[in-house]
Amino acid sequence: MTARVDGTTPSAPPAVAGERLRGKYAGFASRFTAFAVDVVVSLGVFMLALAAISFAARVLTGKDISWHNGDIWVVIAYAVWAFIYFAYSWAADGRTAGMALVGVRVVRDDGTDASARQAIVRTLAFPLSFLFLGLGLAGILLGDRRRALHDVIAGTAVVYSWDTRAARLRFLSGDGLSSGPRHPGDTTVCAARTRAARTVWPG
Amino acid sequence: MGPSPSLGSDSDLVNPFQRQHVEVLAQVVTERAVELVVSALDVNAVLDQVDINRVLDQIDLDRLLGRMDLDEMVQRIDVDALVEQTDLGAVIAASSSGAASDLLDVVRSQTVGLDEFIARWIGRLRRRPYTGPPGPPNRVRAEAAS
Repeated sequence: MTARVDGTTPSAPPAVAGERLRGKYAGFASRFTAFAVDVVVSLGVFMLALAAISFAARVLTGKDISWHNGDIWVVIAYAVWAFIYFAYSWAADGRTAGMALVGVRVVRDDGTDASARQAIVRTLAFPLSFLFLGLGLAGILLGDRRRALHDVIAGTAVVYSWDTRAARLRFLSGDGLSSGPRHPGDTTVCAARTRAARTVWPG
Repeated sequence: MGPSPSLGSDSDLVNPFQRQHVEVLAQVVTERAVELVVSALDVNAVLDQVDINRVLDQIDLDRLLGRMDLDEMVQRIDVDALVEQTDLGAVIAASSSGAASDLLDVVRSQTVGLDEFIARWIGRLRRRPYTGPPGPPNRVRAEAAS
């Protein structure tokens, strides 16, 4: 434990202090954040594609194509696109864009890489978790292995994939304080960095 | 007898070939003289007698800087050439990647903090002590132990 330079008692470190997070089951907030990012990304790409199709149709045929959210073809097209987006991402790398941002990934329930078949099953089972007021997601909050219904069906789990210790070292080395002083002999700054790093990166 | 040749200016006395010889001779003599003086001079002894600190104390830096036209100096700097020689792309890329990495670390750490907060409260509601995130999966744990 690093002593505080101002003489005050440091606050108790989080429960996970001193442990690595990589490989441990990811929590609800991380997974929900990743999903929200994925929805934004997939919807954004889909709308861009619709706009590109409209533009191309106007240039080639001179007719305007208008898309309505309630149009069944638009809904089906988005469902197909979302299936490709999630299934391909999980099969190829075990993570979508949102998961890569948050630092989590899908693995087999024994911790090894998920197969393509599991990725497809997980994608197909994904909507089931949202049925009955999202009852299938309760396993993330209450289960010992933080698995949702679609995880159980596909035999997968979601784990943290980023190294908290590396992030803390980056911060301590000075890369994480872009605007702060960098003099190596400044013990006050070093102590402050250590305190901040312990607070921000518990692992 | 014919009339004797009249004497004109000095340049008429020496032809160009002779004048060149005289210039070379003068240059050699000058160099030799300087060489003798320098060899006879003990530079270290002279420097020992000079009190550098005293000289520096006597320099009025404010006055010196006041006499310098910094605007003119700045105008003389060829900024375009300076920019051409600087790999601005690498500088911008390094700073951008550093900032992006910082941002990513902060986002991830905040979500992990939120995970812990939620898990701790769930643990309280279930009257189970929360001891940190569960895992890793059994096989990973076994591989790490071996």
